[in-house]
Order: sequence, then C-alpha cells, then structure tokens
Amino acid sequence: MRPGVHIGGELRLLPLMLVGLLLVQGCRKEREPEPEAPTPALPTPPAGDGVYFDATLAPYQTLSAYRFFTGALKDQAPNSGVLPYEPITSLFSDYAKKKRFVWMPPGAKAYYAGDHQVLDFPDGAVLIKTFYYDHVLPNDERRIIETRLLFKRNGSWYFADYVWNTDQTEAYLDLNGSNTPVTWVDQSGEQRNILYRIPSAAECQTCHKVNFDPIPIGPKPQNLNSDMTYQDGVRNQLEKWVEMGYLQSGYPANIMTTVRWDDATQPLDLRVRSYLDMNCAHCHADERHCNYRPMRFAYNESEDLVNLGVCVPPDDPIAPEYTEIVARGNPGRSMMHYRLTSTDETVRMPLLGRTIAHDEGAEMIREWISSLPGTCP
Amino acid sequence: MRSTLLSLSLVALTYEAYSQNTCATALNVGLGVHAVDAVNGTEPLPVSCATNGNPGTLAEWYTYTATVDTTIRLNTDVAGTIWVDTRVHIYTGTCGSLNCLAGDDDSGSNLTSLVTFPVTAGQTYTIGFDNRWTTAGFSFELAYVQPAPPPPPPPPSIISFTNVTQGVSGSGYCVVDMNNDQLDDIVGTSTSNVNILYQQANGTFQSVNIITTPADHTASWSIAAGDIDGNGYNDLLYGGGSGSTFMMANNTGTGFTEVSFPNYIFSQRTNMVDINNDGHLDAFVCHDVDANVAFFNDGNGNLTFNQGLLGLTCGNYGSIWTDYDNDGDIDMFVAKCGCDPVDLLMRNNGDGTFTNVAPELGMADSHQSWSSAWGDFDNDGDMDVLIGASSSGYHKLLENNGDGTFTNITAGSGIDLFTGQSIEWTTHDFDNNGYLDILGGGGLLMNMGDMTFVPNGTFPGNGPIGDLNNDGFLDVYTSGTIRRNVGNDNNWLKIATVGVVSNSNGIGARITVETPSGTFTREVRSGDGFRYMSTMTAHFGLGEETEITAVTVRWPSGIVDVIEGVDVNTTEVIVEGVSTGLAAQRDEQVQLFPVPAQDILTVSGLGSGQVPVRVLDATGRLVLRGNLLNERLDVSGLTPGAYVLQVFTPNGTTQRSFTKE
Repeated sequence: MRPGVHIGGELRLLPLMLVGLLLVQGCRKEREPEPEAPTPALPTPPAGDGVYFDATLAPYQTLSAYRFFTGALKDQAPNSGVLPYEPITSLFSDYAKKKRFVWMPPGAKAYYAGDHQVLDFPDGAVLIKTFYYDHVLPNDERRIIETRLLFKRNGSWYFADYVWNTDQTEAYLDLNGSNTPVTWVDQSGEQRNILYRIPSAAECQTCHKVNFDPIPIGPKPQNLNSDMTYQDGVRNQLEKWVEMGYLQSGYPANIMTTVRWDDATQPLDLRVRSYLDMNCAHCHADERHCNYRPMRFAYNESEDLVNLGVCVPPDDPIAPEYTEIVARGNPGRSMMHYRLTSTDETVRMPLLGRTIAHDEGAEMIREWISSLPGTCP
Repeated sequence: MRSTLLSLSLVALTYEAYSQNTCATALNVGLGVHAVDAVNGTEPLPVSCATNGNPGTLAEWYTYTATVDTTIRLNTDVAGTIWVDTRVHIYTGTCGSLNCLAGDDDSGSNLTSLVTFPVTAGQTYTIGFDNRWTTAGFSFELAYVQPAPPPPPPPPSIISFTNVTQGVSGSGYCVVDMNNDQLDDIVGTSTSNVNILYQQANGTFQSVNIITTPADHTASWSIAAGDIDGNGYNDLLYGGGSGSTFMMANNTGTGFTEVSFPNYIFSQRTNMVDINNDGHLDAFVCHDVDANVAFFNDGNGNLTFNQGLLGLTCGNYGSIWTDYDNDGDIDMFVAKCGCDPVDLLMRNNGDGTFTNVAPELGMADSHQSWSSAWGDFDNDGDMDVLIGASSSGYHKLLENNGDGTFTNITAGSGIDLFTGQSIEWTTHDFDNNGYLDILGGGGLLMNMGDMTFVPNGTFPGNGPIGDLNNDGFLDVYTSGTIRRNVGNDNNWLKIATVGVVSNSNGIGARITVETPSGTFTREVRSGDGFRYMSTMTAHFGLGEETEITAVTVRWPSGIVDVIEGVDVNTTEVIVEGVSTGLAAQRDEQVQLFPVPAQDILTVSGLGSGQVPVRVLDATGRLVLRGNLLNERLDVSGLTPGAYVLQVFTPNGTTQRSFTKE
C-alpha cells in the first residue's frame, strides 16, 4: 500500500475506506451537526498543568486534553512553552481570522534548512492553528470554528482537526469534513454569509503534502523573518524561537524574506509574489498537487515572470477569452484574475480553502497585471 | 510605431465628435472608417450578440441604413490604427426592442472584431460596441463584402456545424433521453432545479423546469445519468467538489428527490455502471484526492458506499467503463493526473474483484490526462484507446491487438502532430462514415479509416453529445448553443437498449452491427470524457452502406439478442431477450383488465408470445419482473394495493397503473 493511502491511520482515513451501509431513504446528512462528546475522552491527562502531549497517543479526542491553553479554552491563552507565531503574509481562508502556535517537547528544537524550506522540525513538534470570526451574528460575538493540528511522530507529520462546540467550551476531534454556516459583519460593516468548509483529512492532505507525505506549509524562514509582538515585547520571530530553544542558532543572517501582501510601502511585484507564494505555491510547485501545470509560484521561483504565467497561454481552453495566464496590461484577458475572482468551484483558485473571493487580494493582482508594460504577442 | 501612424491617419479619418452614448442618440454612419473616441456611453447594450458573456456596462451606439440588399463587413482592425480589444453587436429593430442579428468578439487579429451580416435595402441596423474588455477608443470600418467565389465542396469525410441558440438553466449538462421516446433531451441542473428540454418530434424543445429537494452537492465537476432504481426514468448523479448527490427520478419522471452521503469526495468523472453485474445499476466516482468511490445498489433502494475497491491513490480524473479484453465483463480505465498520475486499467476478474493491469499492458505511465477516448477505431471488434494529454504535451494512441494487449501506434497516425490539449477526450462518429472520430484538444480529429486522424476544419466545442434533431448525425450541446451537425449523405443506425435481466438502460451492453461492407461495434455507456453526460443511444455511422445483415446485442447478463431486418436510417429499440421479435404494436392499444386485478392480469393489444414486463409498487420499488405469456401475467403473489405495470416492446416502454384486490 502506498503511504498516501494511510497517512495517519488513526486519523480515520482507513475507516473511511471500509464499506458502510447507507440507505437511500433516510440518509440525508445534517448540514451542521453538533459535535458529539466522544466517550470516553481518552487519554486521561496526568496531574499537573503543563502541556500534555504524547505523540504515541495523539490525536486526543478533545482539544482541551493537550492543555495547550490556560484559563478558558476559548481565550486561547498559550500555556508555558506554547509560542504564538505568524507568517508575514497569510493564506486567505474566507476572511477567517487565525491564531497560530508552536510547541515542542523539552529539549527538542528545529533546524534551518533553507530560506524557502519548512524548518526541519523535531519529533513531537506540534503546530496549532485556530480559525475564528469576530462580529458573528446574531450576537455580534467571536465564534471559534476549528483548531487544526499538525504534529510530527517518527519523522512523519499527522493531521488532526478539532471542531468547536456551540458553547465554545470544547473542541472535538473530527477529520471527516463538514460545512457550517457563518454570518458576520466585516470590516466595512457589510454583513457576509458563507457556508464555511471544515476540511476532511483528504482535503488537508491535498495542500499539505509533498508527493504522498504530509507537511506544514507556513513555517519557513522566508515567512517568519519578521517582528512580532510578544507579551514581553517586540522581537524577530526567528530570534524568539532561538531564545525559546525552538530553533538552532547560526542560521544565515541574510534571509530572502517575503513582504506583507497588504503593505503598500513595499514594491507591488514583491507583494504579489508574496501573495502568490502563500496562496498558490503549495499546489503549483514540483512534487505538489498541481505540479503538472506550468506555473511556479514559490517566492524563490517567481522572479521569472514566465513562472508567474506572464504571456503563457493556459494549457486547456476552458474559457477561450482568457488568452494568457497573465496577459500584460490586461487583467480582463488573464486567467489568473478570472480564477482568483471566481466562486465556481471548478474555476476558482485556490480550489480548496475558500468559497468566496478575496476582493482585496484580487484587486492587487488586477493592479499588478494592469501595470505590466507592453502586450503579449 | 503604430501609434504614430494613428495620430497621422486621424487627420484623414471621418471623425465624429458627437455623443453616441445612448441608443436614442446613435450616430448614423455610412460605409468607410469611423473613429470611436472611447467606449463610455451610459446606456449599456440590452443583450450580447457575441461570445464571452454579458453586454458590459458602457456602450457606443451607431446605426447603419442599407441602400441595397447585400452583405456588410464590420471590422475593428483598421490599417494605421493600434489594435484594441473590441467587441461588437449588430441589432435589428428599434430602441427598446432590439434583436440580435450578429456579433463578434475576437475574430479579427489581436483580439479585434470582424463580423459580416446581411442587410436589406431601406432597413436601419443598430451597431453597438461594449466595454467588456476595455473602454479605449478605436476605429471601425464598414464595407460591402465582395462576392466570393463559391467554396469548393468539402471532402465527404469532413463535417460542419451550425449554431442553434437553445438555452437551458443551470449547468451540469446532459444530452440523454429522459422520457423514453428515443429522442435525446437536454438537461441542465442546479441546486434545486432540473431543467429538461424535451426534444419534440418536430425538432423543437419543450422546457420543463422541475424543482427538486436541495442537493447537498451540485454537478459542478461532472454528471452521469442512468435508471438506478429501475423505475423506468433516468436518475442523475452530481459530482461535486466535496461530495456526490444522487437525484432520483420519481415513477413518472416528473419529479426528483436528492439523496446524499456524508462522505467527503472531491468528485471528478462520475459513471453509472453495473460494477458487480448483479443486474442493478451501481455508480462510480473518481476521487481527486483520495481512493476512488463506488456506490453499490442492492436492487431494493439501498446504496452502499465503498471506497478502495477501484483504485487506492489520488489523482483520479477520467474514468471510463469498457470491456477492453472482450471477455464479457466490464473493465475500467482511469486517466490520472496530478498527485499520482499513473493511469489505471482495472480488469474485471468476473468475481466482483478487479486487478490493475496497466503496468503489464504498458499503460502505467505518468501521462497527465483528465480523460481518454475508448472505441473501436479500426472496426476490428475490440476497443482501442486514445489517451489525450491535458498538459503533458503528448497523446497516446493504442491499438487493441485482440488478445488483451495493446500496441502504441501514435507515430504516423496524425495524433503525433496534433498539439492541442484538453480535459475532454471522447470518441463518436461525427461524419457517419463508419469510423469513430475523436473530439478533444480543442479539435475534432476525423478518423480516415486507416488509423490516421486529420483535424476537421471546424471544432464544435466541448459538451454532451447526442442527436438533437433526430437526423442521425451527432450534435454537441455547448452552453446556450446547439452545435448542430449539418450532416451529409451517409447512412446511420441508432440503437436504444432496454435491459430486463440486466440494468434497465442496458449500460455495458456491447452492440455489433454487421453489414456487407463491414462490422461496427459500440458500447452503451454512462459517462465519457471528463465532465458531461452524452447520449446512451448507441450511434452507428454506416457510410454508403444501405443494408444491415444483423444487429447483435451482448447484454451484461450474458443474454445475446440477434436482430435481423433492421433498416438503415432508423432508431431501433432492442429489449433484452426478445430477439425473436414481436409485431410492433401501438402503445394506445395496451389495455389492462380486469381492474382491480385478482390472480391473473390480462394485458391486451400485444398479441401472442412473450413480452417482458415489470411491476413497481406505489413507492417505485420493483416487485415483479417477468414476461407476459399470451397476454397474461400472474399477479397472485402481489399484496393488495396500487401498482404500475411497465411493458417493454420494440416500440419502447409503456406504463399502465392498476390495483390489485
């Protein structure tokens, strides 16, 4: 059996493959199932109040069992050793807000592997990412939807996803995937409605993989070489990781670093390349899900405009009016702009992780295409 | 340099500085060159007469009044001006009631527009330009079209198409017979809607919009059709991005109810096929990011989710079911792409298991393909294949050697010279010369009869394929437009299959048409290419052949029917197990008595002999399957209640309701 089939056997991929009887009558699925508390919730954490993570027992049935957070779970106050981090440019996920944390076992640390490579994490490392919305109606309050984990055991990464209950007091392991409606008021005061997609294990794997093996995407030096505000002050994230003992010192001083996509003081081309790296390069790169199309969107590959699709005709004539992936000076004829603004699930890009368009990101891409001088032959 | 020329030449142009910003203030122009300063008129065009979407938000308005009956050419590629990405629309009528006459987006060089349209002396035509692509100014030229010499007659193997506007709501298109009248209908689907355009005997369509229960998943990636529950009406299978939904037709084909499963499936190609050959139609779904999915049907309304029987790794894009080894059971090929691009050929072991034989047959290569076209290209009685590229840059044409092996004959076939790529690859005989052509890569590749292929001058587009005017020539439905096959003098035959022991569509049946000039083979399939659902009526081009020796149907059940006396240029319904034939009877003659029935139901109007029938209960469940014997059916085993009797004759299916005491 190939490794891609049974990544995280515990993570319910194999059970999915078992034959399950479902009747034609009466098998309608609920749109928004309330997560049920599994019984018993194993394992029982030992006494104490530090993080409790045993890679051989993970994933646990509940998020609270790890004790990554202190106080009320929904406050997401990190426990000792749980360090917040933030990539310079983040993936667009239907305007969901995100909190990210890293934890490593005592004495374990990651190593630099290249500016554009994910850090070489130790066994037992856990990456924690919580997705939430503010100003959720009807009560204009925060709603935490899910908390995703990536953890490393015996050299391999594994997925877990915890879906929060309505009371926001607990989140339960669920890798089957589901939808949940969210209505919130956005920054401009507009009411937005979406059917938020909580991914299944197979959906996690689609983006988070190299060949058949699960991997993290964000924690690369190019994305972390920036200042962040910690409880004890502002620090460069990589330096903070070293201080925490989470990163071996001695990494290069001059890291080729991305920029914030929405930082208008930065050159437009770097903002665009940073945006395309974080939103597109997890598929459009060698050994990734969509390696067979010609674009290469990783930050270290996109200085070459051909890799961005400039004046490159699309492989497939799905919509002949879009004559180039990027048509110089002409966003209206550019497949990239068309796909970034589409919500048709067979057209939109990225294919997974969004159901609505990122208006501001697409607008930046439109500006950039308009600014490219000349025309395509 | 061109812009310099522009400023110089502007002096010589007729420059109108008037406002042409609304229909009412349209500028009447004559022949010659006219400059448009910018597309900034505030009244948008009422409707787009050109390709590529809505009519824009701004427009420039002109009119032209013809002085003679002729044809006018309008082009925006005017010598001495820069190229501008224009779009033009020509209307008849008056402001407020304009009707499309012609239009064009990109037929000129470098995205300029070029259109010709007929005019009648004294009539005024409205010309509109929109801002679909740009508001930049440009120039256009109106001129008489010089009479062209008549075009040379096309070679007989080359086929052409005309456009017939025919909208259907939704997407997820099918061209398939939905009401058992042997005429292909057009189906469009959306979350709560199935829009069926029923083809009428006179070639028009009757649109029926059916509100359904809301589908959890729409047919965004693909659609398949087939009669899963055996009630005589095709059900639909929607392949969505996070799951699959069955849309089950009721017992009169007038309503649909959705059935969805909670399992995550990144659906790609969907098919309906009797995978385990138990007589009940199953379903198959390619999974992009995980092991493939099958839904097994126990014949009592229960579908069972299965994952892992038919391909374990991700990257499954285009499945097609075909009996490649001529052993009577159905096998499956999956064109794969992306995360695990190594194609699969799953050989049916005949015992409900499948073995991937792609490695030993030379098909396990990392070809980046989304679909493959399987058909008997050389009319030697076995299924050959073209595995068409989506992005890997090369196609593979494999000839079936008849012994379960294949030979790569791409070199020299013409396929090696064809560089077009696409996600859709299908094979049908478009010019009815008896040889299967290939639609894919943005082209129509005509089979020249010697395993060479030549691109046709016209590409009808991608979409479901069927006969949408019942002329025996295959048409293509693209969004909003029938690409109608103009046809030629070649003869043809269409066969609609009705399974009795086998699944009721006869999916998986192998049909052989024997003639003095050759033998032609087809399979009944649900789901070919990548996305669409094409007709399940088997179509045979016969060239100049006027005689059919015999039609043989080998059913999935193993039953073989041999029918003689079939005429060319007809549509024949072949019911499983009735090869002795029955005198054709008109449906209205079928009468039931006594009603309510007791132990024996008499069905009059069909004459003596055996006629296959089925009885469904009030919930559509199949409760009896058998034969009328000399017009009598034993219904003593049925509990009292309301039933529907289906009678299968060569004319099609007749339904009558009755009650049992």
